[in-house]
Amino acid sequence: MEYILHILVICGIYSILTLSLNLIVGYTGLVSIGHAAFFCIGAYISALLSLNLGMSPWIGLILAGCGAGVLGLVIGTPSLRLKGDYLALATVGAGIIVYQIVKNWVSVTRGPMGLPGIPSFSVFGYILDATWSYLILVISITAISVFVIRRLVIGSYGRVLKSIREDETASQMLGKNTVGYKLQVFVVGAFFAGIAGSLYAHYITFIDPSSFTLLESVTILLMVILGGMASIRGSLVGAVVLVIFPELLRFLGMPSSVAAPVRQMIYGLLLVILMMKRPQGLFGKFRFT
Amino acid sequence: MLQQLLVNGLIAGGIYALVALGFSVIYRTVKFFHFAHGAVYAAGAYFGYTLAIQLKLHFVLAFLLAMVFAALVGILIDRIVYRPLRKKNASNLILLLASFGIFVFVQNLIQLIYGAQILSLRTGPVKEGYHIFSAVITPTQILILTVSVLLMFLLWAFIKKTKLGKAMRAVSDDAVAASVVGINPEKTIMASFALGSAWAGAAGVLIALETNLEPTMGFAAILKGIIASIIGGIGSIPGAMFGGFFLGIAENLGIAWISSGWKDAIAFAILIVFLLIRPQGIIGVKNKEETV
Repeated sequence: MEYILHILVICGIYSILTLSLNLIVGYTGLVSIGHAAFFCIGAYISALLSLNLGMSPWIGLILAGCGAGVLGLVIGTPSLRLKGDYLALATVGAGIIVYQIVKNWVSVTRGPMGLPGIPSFSVFGYILDATWSYLILVISITAISVFVIRRLVIGSYGRVLKSIREDETASQMLGKNTVGYKLQVFVVGAFFAGIAGSLYAHYITFIDPSSFTLLESVTILLMVILGGMASIRGSLVGAVVLVIFPELLRFLGMPSSVAAPVRQMIYGLLLVILMMKRPQGLFGKFRFT
Repeated sequence: MLQQLLVNGLIAGGIYALVALGFSVIYRTVKFFHFAHGAVYAAGAYFGYTLAIQLKLHFVLAFLLAMVFAALVGILIDRIVYRPLRKKNASNLILLLASFGIFVFVQNLIQLIYGAQILSLRTGPVKEGYHIFSAVITPTQILILTVSVLLMFLLWAFIKKTKLGKAMRAVSDDAVAASVVGINPEKTIMASFALGSAWAGAAGVLIALETNLEPTMGFAAILKGIIASIIGGIGSIPGAMFGGFFLGIAENLGIAWISSGWKDAIAFAILIVFLLIRPQGIIGVKNKEETV
Protein backbone atom coordinates (compact mmCIF):
# COMPACT_ATOMS: atom_id res chain seq x y z
CA MET A 1 0.00 0.00 0.00
CA GLU A 2 2.77 2.36 1.01
CA TYR A 3 4.45 1.44 -2.25
CA ILE A 4 1.39 2.32 -4.34
CA LEU A 5 1.09 5.66 -2.56
CA HIS A 6 4.76 6.32 -3.28
CA ILE A 7 4.24 5.63 -7.00
CA LEU A 8 1.27 7.98 -7.00
CA VAL A 9 3.34 10.79 -5.45
CA ILE A 10 5.97 10.35 -8.16
CA CYS A 11 3.21 10.28 -10.80
CA GLY A 12 1.92 13.61 -9.49
CA ILE A 13 5.35 15.25 -9.55
CA TYR A 14 6.01 14.06 -13.10
CA SER A 15 2.53 15.17 -14.16
CA ILE A 16 3.44 18.74 -13.19
CA LEU A 17 6.71 18.45 -15.11
CA THR A 18 5.02 17.03 -18.18
CA LEU A 19 2.24 19.63 -18.13
CA SER A 20 4.71 22.46 -17.85
CA LEU A 21 6.80 21.12 -20.72
CA ASN A 22 3.70 20.52 -22.83
CA LEU A 23 2.88 24.20 -22.50
CA ILE A 24 6.26 24.97 -24.11
CA VAL A 25 6.51 22.10 -26.61
CA GLY A 26 2.94 21.14 -27.41
CA TYR A 27 1.05 24.41 -27.26
CA THR A 28 3.73 26.82 -28.41
CA GLY A 29 5.81 24.47 -30.56
CA LEU A 30 9.17 25.26 -28.94
CA VAL A 31 11.12 22.04 -28.56
CA SER A 32 13.05 22.07 -25.32
CA ILE A 33 15.34 19.19 -24.35
CA GLY A 34 16.57 20.83 -21.19
CA HIS A 35 13.55 20.82 -18.93
CA ALA A 36 15.39 18.89 -16.22
CA ALA A 37 17.43 22.07 -15.61
CA PHE A 38 14.38 23.85 -14.17
CA PHE A 39 13.39 20.77 -12.17
CA CYS A 40 16.95 20.69 -10.84
CA ILE A 41 17.14 24.37 -9.89
CA GLY A 42 13.79 24.17 -8.12
CA ALA A 43 14.90 21.14 -6.12
CA TYR A 44 18.22 22.69 -5.13
CA ILE A 45 16.84 26.14 -4.23
CA SER A 46 14.16 24.67 -2.02
CA ALA A 47 16.50 22.14 -0.42
CA LEU A 48 19.28 24.66 0.27
CA LEU A 49 16.90 27.23 1.73
CA SER A 50 15.43 24.77 4.19
CA LEU A 51 18.78 23.14 5.06
CA ASN A 52 20.93 26.25 5.41
CA LEU A 53 18.48 28.94 6.44
CA GLY A 54 15.86 26.75 8.08
CA MET A 55 13.23 28.32 5.87
CA SER A 56 9.80 26.73 5.70
CA PRO A 57 9.39 24.47 2.64
CA TRP A 58 6.28 26.47 1.74
CA ILE A 59 8.37 29.57 1.14
CA GLY A 60 10.95 27.32 -0.52
CA LEU A 61 8.28 26.00 -2.87
CA ILE A 62 7.38 29.49 -4.06
CA LEU A 63 11.00 30.62 -4.29
CA ALA A 64 11.90 27.42 -6.16
CA GLY A 65 9.26 28.26 -8.76
CA CYS A 66 10.43 31.87 -8.99
CA GLY A 67 14.11 30.85 -9.18
CA ALA A 68 13.35 28.42 -11.98
CA GLY A 69 11.32 31.13 -13.69
CA VAL A 70 14.29 33.51 -13.52
CA LEU A 71 16.49 30.77 -14.94
CA GLY A 72 13.91 30.32 -17.71
CA LEU A 73 14.26 34.02 -18.47
CA VAL A 74 18.07 33.78 -18.48
CA ILE A 75 18.06 30.72 -20.76
CA GLY A 76 15.13 31.81 -22.87
CA THR A 77 16.26 35.34 -23.70
CA PRO A 78 19.18 34.30 -25.88
CA SER A 79 18.03 30.88 -27.05
CA LEU A 80 14.46 31.73 -28.07
CA ARG A 81 15.94 33.79 -30.88
CA LEU A 82 16.83 30.43 -32.43
CA LYS A 83 14.34 28.20 -34.17
CA GLY A 84 13.53 24.53 -34.56
CA ASP A 85 16.41 22.15 -34.13
CA TYR A 86 18.85 24.94 -33.23
CA LEU A 87 16.62 25.89 -30.33
CA ALA A 88 16.50 22.22 -29.29
CA LEU A 89 20.28 22.09 -29.35
CA ALA A 90 20.60 25.29 -27.32
CA THR A 91 18.27 23.87 -24.65
CA VAL A 92 20.37 20.70 -24.49
CA GLY A 93 23.31 23.02 -23.85
CA ALA A 94 21.49 24.95 -21.16
CA GLY A 95 20.57 21.69 -19.43
CA ILE A 96 24.18 20.56 -19.42
CA ILE A 97 25.50 23.88 -18.16
CA VAL A 98 23.05 23.81 -15.23
CA TYR A 99 23.98 20.18 -14.50
CA GLN A 100 27.67 21.03 -14.46
CA ILE A 101 27.14 24.05 -12.21
CA VAL A 102 25.27 21.91 -9.69
CA LYS A 103 27.91 19.20 -9.90
CA ASN A 104 30.97 21.45 -9.68
CA TRP A 105 29.89 24.17 -7.28
CA VAL A 106 30.77 21.90 -4.39
CA SER A 107 30.94 24.59 -1.70
CA VAL A 108 27.21 25.22 -2.06
CA THR A 109 25.64 22.11 -3.56
CA ARG A 110 28.09 19.50 -2.16
CA GLY A 111 28.46 18.36 -5.77
CA PRO A 112 28.10 14.62 -6.48
CA MET A 113 27.75 13.88 -2.74
CA GLY A 114 24.29 15.38 -2.86
CA LEU A 115 22.17 17.00 -0.16
CA PRO A 116 20.77 14.57 2.42
CA GLY A 117 18.19 15.12 5.16
CA ILE A 118 15.91 17.64 3.47
CA PRO A 119 12.97 18.27 5.84
CA SER A 120 9.38 17.74 4.74
CA PHE A 121 6.47 20.17 4.58
CA SER A 122 4.45 20.85 7.67
CA VAL A 123 0.88 22.08 8.06
CA PHE A 124 0.06 23.82 11.39
CA GLY A 125 2.89 21.97 13.07
CA TYR A 126 1.88 18.64 11.62
CA ILE A 127 4.76 17.27 9.55
CA LEU A 128 3.80 15.63 6.27
CA ASP A 129 6.15 12.68 6.55
CA ALA A 130 3.56 9.97 5.97
CA THR A 131 3.28 9.13 2.29
CA TRP A 132 -0.50 9.55 2.19
CA SER A 133 -0.35 13.06 3.60
CA TYR A 134 2.33 14.03 1.07
CA LEU A 135 0.18 12.52 -1.65
CA ILE A 136 -2.65 14.90 -0.74
CA LEU A 137 -0.24 17.84 -1.01
CA VAL A 138 1.09 16.68 -4.39
CA ILE A 139 -2.39 16.04 -5.77
CA SER A 140 -3.56 19.50 -4.70
CA ILE A 141 -0.59 21.19 -6.36
CA THR A 142 -1.01 19.07 -9.48
CA ALA A 143 -4.66 20.12 -9.59
CA ILE A 144 -3.67 23.79 -9.26
CA SER A 145 -1.16 23.34 -12.09
CA VAL A 146 -3.76 21.70 -14.32
CA PHE A 147 -6.18 24.52 -13.55
CA VAL A 148 -3.68 27.32 -14.25
CA ILE A 149 -2.29 25.76 -17.43
CA ARG A 150 -5.78 24.96 -18.67
CA ARG A 151 -6.86 28.55 -18.11
CA LEU A 152 -3.80 29.72 -20.02
CA VAL A 153 -4.38 27.52 -23.05
CA ILE A 154 -8.15 27.63 -23.53
CA GLY A 155 -8.56 31.38 -23.77
CA SER A 156 -7.34 33.96 -26.23
CA TYR A 157 -3.87 33.63 -24.73
CA GLY A 158 -3.78 30.00 -25.78
CA ARG A 159 -4.92 30.90 -29.27
CA VAL A 160 -1.97 33.26 -29.62
CA LEU A 161 0.36 30.47 -28.51
CA LYS A 162 -1.08 28.08 -31.07
CA SER A 163 -0.83 30.73 -33.77
CA ILE A 164 2.87 31.12 -32.96
CA ARG A 165 3.24 27.37 -33.27
CA GLU A 166 1.44 27.20 -36.59
CA ASP A 167 2.87 30.30 -38.24
CA GLU A 168 4.94 32.75 -36.29
CA THR A 169 5.22 35.28 -39.10
CA ALA A 170 1.45 35.39 -39.50
CA SER A 171 0.87 36.13 -35.82
CA GLN A 172 3.53 38.83 -35.95
CA MET A 173 1.58 40.32 -38.82
CA LEU A 174 -1.45 40.48 -36.56
CA GLY A 175 0.56 42.59 -34.17
CA LYS A 176 1.46 39.94 -31.62
CA ASN A 177 4.80 40.27 -29.90
CA THR A 178 5.70 36.65 -30.51
CA VAL A 179 9.10 36.85 -28.84
CA GLY A 180 7.45 38.18 -25.70
CA TYR A 181 4.84 35.41 -25.71
CA LYS A 182 7.45 32.72 -26.23
CA LEU A 183 9.50 34.08 -23.35
CA GLN A 184 6.43 34.22 -21.08
CA VAL A 185 5.56 30.62 -21.88
CA PHE A 186 9.12 29.53 -21.24
CA VAL A 187 9.13 31.29 -17.86
CA VAL A 188 5.74 29.89 -16.83
CA GLY A 189 6.83 26.38 -17.86
CA ALA A 190 10.06 26.79 -15.90
CA PHE A 191 8.13 28.06 -12.86
CA PHE A 192 6.00 24.91 -12.67
CA ALA A 193 9.02 22.68 -13.24
CA GLY A 194 10.70 24.45 -10.32
CA ILE A 195 7.62 23.76 -8.15
CA ALA A 196 7.86 20.10 -9.14
CA GLY A 197 11.55 20.15 -8.20
CA SER A 198 10.75 21.48 -4.75
CA LEU A 199 8.07 18.82 -4.22
CA TYR A 200 10.55 16.16 -5.30
CA ALA A 201 13.33 17.37 -3.01
CA HIS A 202 11.18 17.52 0.12
CA TYR A 203 9.64 14.15 -0.64
CA ILE A 204 12.75 12.10 -1.48
CA THR A 205 14.74 14.06 1.18
CA PHE A 206 17.98 13.51 -0.77
CA ILE A 207 19.00 15.07 -4.05
CA ASP A 208 22.16 14.78 -6.13
CA PRO A 209 23.04 15.92 -9.65
CA SER A 210 22.55 12.45 -11.15
CA SER A 211 18.76 12.86 -11.02
CA PHE A 212 18.88 15.81 -13.41
CA THR A 213 20.79 14.63 -16.46
CA LEU A 214 19.96 14.97 -20.13
CA LEU A 215 18.31 11.56 -19.96
CA GLU A 216 15.86 13.03 -17.47
CA SER A 217 15.02 15.83 -19.92
CA VAL A 218 14.52 13.29 -22.69
CA THR A 219 12.25 11.22 -20.42
CA ILE A 220 10.06 14.23 -19.61
CA LEU A 221 9.86 15.09 -23.31
CA LEU A 222 8.97 11.48 -24.05
CA MET A 223 6.11 11.71 -21.53
CA VAL A 224 4.82 14.81 -23.33
CA ILE A 225 5.05 13.21 -26.76
CA LEU A 226 3.63 9.85 -25.70
CA GLY A 227 0.63 11.40 -23.94
CA GLY A 228 0.04 13.86 -26.71
CA MET A 229 1.17 17.24 -27.89
CA ALA A 230 -1.05 20.09 -26.72
CA SER A 231 -3.24 17.85 -24.59
CA ILE A 232 -3.62 18.18 -20.83
CA ARG A 233 -5.21 14.77 -20.48
CA GLY A 234 -2.36 13.39 -22.58
CA SER A 235 0.28 14.87 -20.29
CA LEU A 236 -1.25 13.23 -17.25
CA VAL A 237 -1.53 9.89 -19.02
CA GLY A 238 2.01 10.13 -20.44
CA ALA A 239 3.50 10.87 -17.04
CA VAL A 240 1.57 8.12 -15.26
CA VAL A 241 2.35 5.48 -17.90
CA LEU A 242 6.07 6.19 -17.95
CA VAL A 243 6.33 6.32 -14.16
CA ILE A 244 4.52 3.03 -13.66
CA PHE A 245 6.17 1.20 -16.53
CA PRO A 246 9.71 0.91 -15.02
CA GLU A 247 8.13 -0.39 -11.83
CA LEU A 248 6.58 -3.24 -13.81
CA LEU A 249 10.06 -4.18 -15.02
CA ARG A 250 11.06 -4.48 -11.40
CA PHE A 251 8.34 -7.07 -10.86
CA LEU A 252 9.79 -9.15 -13.69
CA GLY A 253 12.65 -9.79 -11.30
CA MET A 254 15.44 -8.34 -13.40
CA PRO A 255 18.62 -7.44 -11.54
CA SER A 256 19.09 -3.67 -11.50
CA SER A 257 22.23 -3.86 -13.69
CA VAL A 258 19.98 -5.27 -16.43
CA ALA A 259 16.77 -3.41 -15.63
CA ALA A 260 18.29 0.09 -15.90
CA PRO A 261 19.64 -0.25 -19.45
CA VAL A 262 16.59 -2.25 -20.58
CA ARG A 263 14.32 0.51 -19.35
CA GLN A 264 16.31 3.16 -21.20
CA MET A 265 16.40 1.00 -24.32
CA ILE A 266 12.63 0.77 -24.28
CA TYR A 267 12.40 4.55 -23.82
CA GLY A 268 14.68 5.09 -26.80
CA LEU A 269 12.76 2.62 -28.91
CA LEU A 270 9.46 4.17 -27.86
CA LEU A 271 10.66 7.62 -28.92
CA VAL A 272 11.73 6.28 -32.32
CA ILE A 273 8.46 4.42 -32.87
CA LEU A 274 6.38 7.42 -31.83
CA MET A 275 8.29 9.64 -34.23
CA MET A 276 7.78 7.15 -37.03
CA LYS A 277 4.18 6.16 -36.43
CA ARG A 278 2.43 8.75 -34.32
CA PRO A 279 4.40 11.97 -33.77
CA GLN A 280 1.41 13.70 -32.18
CA GLY A 281 1.17 11.12 -29.38
CA LEU A 282 -1.86 9.32 -27.95
CA PHE A 283 -4.20 12.25 -27.35
CA GLY A 284 -2.29 14.80 -29.36
CA LYS A 285 -3.86 17.54 -31.37
CA PHE A 286 -0.70 18.75 -33.01
CA ARG A 287 2.26 17.27 -34.80
CA PHE A 288 5.46 18.85 -36.04
CA THR A 289 5.20 19.13 -39.75
CA MET B 1 52.26 24.87 -18.95
CA LEU B 2 50.78 26.74 -21.89
CA GLN B 3 52.57 24.46 -24.34
CA GLN B 4 51.29 21.37 -22.54
CA LEU B 5 47.75 22.70 -22.73
CA LEU B 6 48.18 23.36 -26.43
CA VAL B 7 49.39 19.80 -26.99
CA ASN B 8 46.44 18.38 -25.03
CA GLY B 9 44.13 20.65 -26.95
CA LEU B 10 45.52 19.46 -30.26
CA ILE B 11 44.96 15.80 -29.38
CA ALA B 12 41.44 16.36 -28.11
CA GLY B 13 40.87 18.59 -31.13
CA GLY B 14 41.97 15.86 -33.52
CA ILE B 15 39.31 13.53 -32.14
CA TYR B 16 36.64 16.23 -32.13
CA ALA B 17 37.56 17.09 -35.69
CA LEU B 18 37.15 13.46 -36.77
CA VAL B 19 33.73 13.20 -35.15
CA ALA B 20 32.73 16.59 -36.56
CA LEU B 21 33.93 15.56 -39.98
CA GLY B 22 31.83 12.40 -40.00
CA PHE B 23 28.88 14.36 -38.67
CA SER B 24 29.31 17.03 -41.37
CA VAL B 25 29.54 14.51 -44.19
CA ILE B 26 26.18 13.13 -43.08
CA TYR B 27 24.68 16.54 -42.33
CA ARG B 28 25.53 17.79 -45.81
CA THR B 29 23.28 15.26 -47.47
CA VAL B 30 20.45 14.89 -44.95
CA LYS B 31 20.41 18.38 -43.33
CA PHE B 32 19.45 17.39 -39.80
CA PHE B 33 21.33 16.78 -36.56
CA HIS B 34 22.21 13.09 -36.58
CA PHE B 35 22.64 12.87 -32.82
CA ALA B 36 22.95 9.07 -32.91
CA HIS B 37 26.34 9.64 -34.53
CA GLY B 38 27.69 9.65 -30.97
CA ALA B 39 26.29 6.18 -30.39
CA VAL B 40 27.92 4.97 -33.61
CA TYR B 41 31.22 6.33 -32.32
CA ALA B 42 30.81 4.42 -29.04
CA ALA B 43 29.72 1.27 -30.88
CA GLY B 44 32.86 1.47 -33.05
CA ALA B 45 35.08 1.86 -30.01
CA TYR B 46 33.51 -1.11 -28.20
CA PHE B 47 33.68 -3.29 -31.29
CA GLY B 48 37.36 -2.39 -31.56
CA TYR B 49 37.76 -3.46 -27.94
CA THR B 50 36.14 -6.82 -28.63
CA LEU B 51 38.44 -7.43 -31.59
CA ALA B 52 41.70 -6.13 -30.15
CA ILE B 53 41.42 -7.21 -26.51
CA GLN B 54 38.89 -10.05 -26.35
CA LEU B 55 39.81 -11.71 -29.68
CA LYS B 56 43.43 -10.52 -29.60
CA LEU B 57 43.53 -9.42 -33.24
CA HIS B 58 46.30 -7.18 -34.48
CA PHE B 59 45.51 -3.57 -33.66
CA VAL B 60 45.55 -2.28 -37.24
CA LEU B 61 43.18 -5.02 -38.34
CA ALA B 62 40.89 -4.36 -35.38
CA PHE B 63 40.95 -0.65 -36.16
CA LEU B 64 39.93 -1.20 -39.80
CA LEU B 65 37.23 -3.73 -38.92
CA ALA B 66 35.83 -1.36 -36.32
CA MET B 67 35.52 1.29 -39.02
CA VAL B 68 33.65 -1.17 -41.24
CA PHE B 69 31.40 -2.15 -38.34
CA ALA B 70 30.61 1.48 -37.54
CA ALA B 71 29.78 2.08 -41.21
CA LEU B 72 27.33 -0.82 -41.11
CA VAL B 73 25.69 0.52 -37.95
CA GLY B 74 25.33 3.91 -39.64
CA ILE B 75 23.75 2.42 -42.75
CA LEU B 76 21.41 0.32 -40.63
CA ILE B 77 20.21 3.35 -38.65
CA ASP B 78 19.57 5.22 -41.87
CA ARG B 79 17.73 2.32 -43.48
CA ILE B 80 15.52 1.41 -40.53
CA VAL B 81 14.65 4.83 -39.15
CA TYR B 82 15.65 7.80 -41.28
CA ARG B 83 14.70 6.54 -44.71
CA PRO B 84 11.03 5.84 -43.83
CA LEU B 85 10.86 9.24 -42.15
CA ARG B 86 12.37 10.93 -45.21
CA LYS B 87 9.76 9.26 -47.38
CA LYS B 88 7.09 10.89 -45.21
CA ASN B 89 8.81 14.28 -45.48
CA ALA B 90 9.26 14.42 -41.72
CA SER B 91 10.56 17.69 -40.29
CA ASN B 92 14.06 18.16 -38.92
CA LEU B 93 12.68 18.15 -35.42
CA ILE B 94 11.08 14.73 -35.83
CA LEU B 95 14.32 13.40 -37.26
CA LEU B 96 16.29 14.96 -34.41
CA LEU B 97 14.01 13.43 -31.77
CA ALA B 98 14.12 10.03 -33.48
CA SER B 99 17.88 10.39 -33.51
CA PHE B 100 17.84 11.00 -29.75
CA GLY B 101 15.79 7.83 -29.37
CA ILE B 102 18.31 5.82 -31.36
CA PHE B 103 21.13 7.32 -29.34
CA VAL B 104 19.55 6.31 -26.03
CA PHE B 105 18.77 2.85 -27.39
CA VAL B 106 22.27 2.08 -28.68
CA GLN B 107 24.03 3.54 -25.67
CA ASN B 108 22.06 1.32 -23.34
CA LEU B 109 22.45 -1.69 -25.59
CA ILE B 110 26.21 -1.24 -25.23
CA GLN B 111 25.80 -0.98 -21.46
CA LEU B 112 23.72 -4.15 -21.44
CA ILE B 113 26.33 -6.09 -23.42
CA TYR B 114 29.55 -4.79 -21.90
CA GLY B 115 28.35 -3.58 -18.50
CA ALA B 116 28.71 -0.10 -17.05
CA GLN B 117 32.28 -0.56 -15.86
CA ILE B 118 35.19 1.22 -17.50
CA LEU B 119 37.22 -0.80 -20.02
CA SER B 120 40.52 0.05 -21.65
CA LEU B 121 42.13 -0.58 -25.00
CA ARG B 122 45.58 0.11 -23.60
CA THR B 123 47.98 -2.82 -23.55
CA GLY B 124 51.09 -2.73 -21.43
CA PRO B 125 52.31 0.17 -19.33
CA VAL B 126 52.09 3.76 -20.49
CA LYS B 127 55.31 4.65 -22.31
CA GLU B 128 57.28 7.67 -21.29
CA GLY B 129 56.56 10.69 -23.42
CA TYR B 130 58.90 12.81 -25.51
CA HIS B 131 59.73 16.29 -24.34
CA ILE B 132 59.08 18.99 -26.88
CA PHE B 133 59.96 22.36 -25.40
CA SER B 134 58.23 22.16 -22.05
CA ALA B 135 55.41 19.86 -23.17
CA VAL B 136 55.26 16.08 -22.89
CA ILE B 137 53.69 14.02 -25.65
CA THR B 138 53.42 10.22 -25.52
CA PRO B 139 53.89 7.93 -28.54
CA THR B 140 50.20 7.02 -28.35
CA GLN B 141 49.24 10.66 -28.59
CA ILE B 142 51.49 11.12 -31.61
CA LEU B 143 49.82 8.08 -33.19
CA ILE B 144 46.34 9.51 -32.49
CA LEU B 145 47.21 12.87 -33.95
CA THR B 146 48.92 11.42 -37.04
CA VAL B 147 46.13 8.95 -37.83
CA SER B 148 43.40 11.51 -37.32
CA VAL B 149 45.07 14.08 -39.56
CA LEU B 150 45.66 11.36 -42.17
CA LEU B 151 41.99 10.34 -42.04
CA MET B 152 40.86 13.93 -42.37
CA PHE B 153 42.88 14.37 -45.55
CA LEU B 154 41.66 11.05 -46.92
CA LEU B 155 38.06 12.08 -46.45
CA TRP B 156 38.66 15.53 -47.86
CA ALA B 157 40.38 14.04 -50.92
CA PHE B 158 37.57 11.53 -51.33
CA ILE B 159 34.93 14.23 -51.41
CA LYS B 160 36.95 16.51 -53.67
CA LYS B 161 38.32 13.97 -56.15
CA THR B 162 36.08 10.94 -56.57
CA LYS B 163 32.86 10.62 -58.49
CA LEU B 164 30.92 9.53 -55.42
CA GLY B 165 32.29 12.51 -53.53
CA LYS B 166 31.12 14.76 -56.31
CA ALA B 167 27.66 13.17 -56.15
CA MET B 168 27.61 13.86 -52.40
CA ARG B 169 28.40 17.49 -52.99
CA ALA B 170 25.70 17.66 -55.64
CA VAL B 171 23.04 16.16 -53.34
CA SER B 172 24.14 18.53 -50.61
CA ASP B 173 23.70 21.56 -52.86
CA ASP B 174 20.37 20.56 -54.38
CA ALA B 175 18.94 17.07 -54.03
CA VAL B 176 16.23 17.55 -56.65
CA ALA B 177 18.58 18.93 -59.28
CA ALA B 178 21.03 16.13 -58.52
CA SER B 179 18.38 13.49 -59.13
CA VAL B 180 17.47 15.19 -62.40
CA VAL B 181 20.99 14.67 -63.71
CA GLY B 182 20.85 11.00 -62.74
CA ILE B 183 22.38 10.92 -59.27
CA ASN B 184 20.48 8.57 -56.99
CA PRO B 185 20.00 10.59 -53.78
CA GLU B 186 19.23 7.55 -51.62
CA LYS B 187 22.42 5.81 -52.69
CA THR B 188 24.40 8.95 -52.07
CA ILE B 189 22.87 9.39 -48.62
CA MET B 190 23.74 5.77 -47.84
CA ALA B 191 27.32 6.38 -48.92
CA SER B 192 27.54 9.46 -46.74
CA PHE B 193 26.24 7.51 -43.74
CA ALA B 194 28.78 4.75 -44.40
CA LEU B 195 31.66 7.18 -44.73
CA GLY B 196 30.69 9.47 -41.86
CA SER B 197 30.04 6.54 -39.50
CA ALA B 198 33.31 4.79 -40.40
CA TRP B 199 35.16 7.97 -39.44
CA ALA B 200 33.23 8.12 -36.17
CA GLY B 201 34.21 4.52 -35.45
CA ALA B 202 37.86 5.38 -36.15
CA ALA B 203 37.65 8.32 -33.75
CA GLY B 204 36.13 6.03 -31.10
CA VAL B 205 38.93 3.48 -31.32
CA LEU B 206 41.60 6.19 -31.32
CA ILE B 207 40.26 7.92 -28.22
CA ALA B 208 40.02 4.54 -26.50
CA LEU B 209 43.80 4.25 -26.81
CA GLU B 210 44.25 7.37 -24.75
CA THR B 211 41.32 7.38 -22.31
CA ASN B 212 38.93 4.66 -21.19
CA LEU B 213 35.82 3.16 -22.72
CA GLU B 214 32.49 3.71 -21.06
CA PRO B 215 28.99 3.30 -22.51
CA THR B 216 28.23 7.00 -22.12
CA MET B 217 31.33 8.12 -24.07
CA GLY B 218 29.30 8.87 -27.18
CA PHE B 219 27.40 11.69 -25.55
CA ALA B 220 30.30 14.07 -24.98
CA ALA B 221 31.70 13.11 -28.38
CA ILE B 222 28.62 14.01 -30.38
CA LEU B 223 28.11 17.22 -28.45
CA LYS B 224 31.66 18.25 -29.24
CA GLY B 225 31.25 17.08 -32.81
CA ILE B 226 28.10 19.15 -33.35
CA ILE B 227 29.57 22.16 -31.58
CA ALA B 228 32.79 21.91 -33.63
CA SER B 229 30.76 21.69 -36.84
CA ILE B 230 28.70 24.74 -35.97
CA ILE B 231 31.77 26.73 -34.93
CA GLY B 232 33.48 25.86 -38.18
CA GLY B 233 30.41 26.41 -40.32
CA ILE B 234 27.89 23.58 -40.47
CA GLY B 235 28.29 21.23 -43.41
CA SER B 236 31.71 22.58 -44.31
CA ILE B 237 34.50 19.98 -44.37
CA PRO B 238 37.43 22.34 -43.69
CA GLY B 239 35.15 24.10 -41.19
CA ALA B 240 34.62 20.88 -39.24
CA MET B 241 38.38 20.25 -39.03
CA PHE B 242 39.07 23.81 -37.98
CA GLY B 243 36.18 23.82 -35.51
CA GLY B 244 37.40 20.58 -33.94
CA PHE B 245 40.88 21.89 -33.26
CA PHE B 246 39.55 25.27 -32.19
CA LEU B 247 37.20 23.65 -29.67
CA GLY B 248 39.86 21.25 -28.36
CA ILE B 249 42.34 24.04 -27.74
CA ALA B 250 39.74 26.49 -26.37
CA GLU B 251 38.47 23.86 -23.92
CA ASN B 252 41.93 22.98 -22.68
CA LEU B 253 42.95 26.61 -22.27
CA GLY B 254 39.63 27.18 -20.53
CA ILE B 255 40.22 24.51 -17.91
CA ALA B 256 43.60 26.08 -17.13
CA TRP B 257 41.87 28.83 -15.21
CA ILE B 258 38.61 27.10 -14.34
CA SER B 259 38.43 23.45 -13.25
CA SER B 260 38.25 20.50 -15.63
CA GLY B 261 34.71 19.67 -14.52
CA TRP B 262 33.49 22.62 -16.57
CA LYS B 263 34.69 21.32 -19.94
CA ASP B 264 31.23 20.66 -21.43
CA ALA B 265 29.85 23.91 -20.04
CA ILE B 266 32.70 25.84 -21.71
CA ALA B 267 32.00 24.07 -25.00
CA PHE B 268 28.32 24.95 -24.82
CA ALA B 269 28.99 28.52 -23.82
CA ILE B 270 31.14 28.82 -26.95
CA LEU B 271 28.31 27.26 -28.98
CA ILE B 272 25.66 29.65 -27.69
CA VAL B 273 27.91 32.64 -28.38
CA PHE B 274 28.47 31.38 -31.91
CA LEU B 275 24.80 30.64 -32.55
CA LEU B 276 23.89 34.15 -31.54
CA ILE B 277 26.58 36.23 -33.16
CA ARG B 278 27.89 34.14 -36.00
CA PRO B 279 25.45 31.28 -36.72
CA GLN B 280 27.10 30.53 -40.04
CA GLY B 281 30.35 29.66 -38.27
CA ILE B 282 33.85 30.81 -39.00
CA ILE B 283 34.04 29.37 -42.50
CA GLY B 284 30.46 29.36 -43.60
CA VAL B 285 28.07 31.05 -45.89
CA LYS B 286 25.25 32.89 -44.24
CA ASN B 287 21.98 31.01 -44.56
CA LYS B 288 19.27 32.85 -42.71
CA GLU B 289 16.59 30.20 -43.01
CA GLU B 290 18.45 27.60 -41.03
CA THR B 291 19.05 29.50 -37.84
CA VAL B 292 17.31 32.78 -37.27
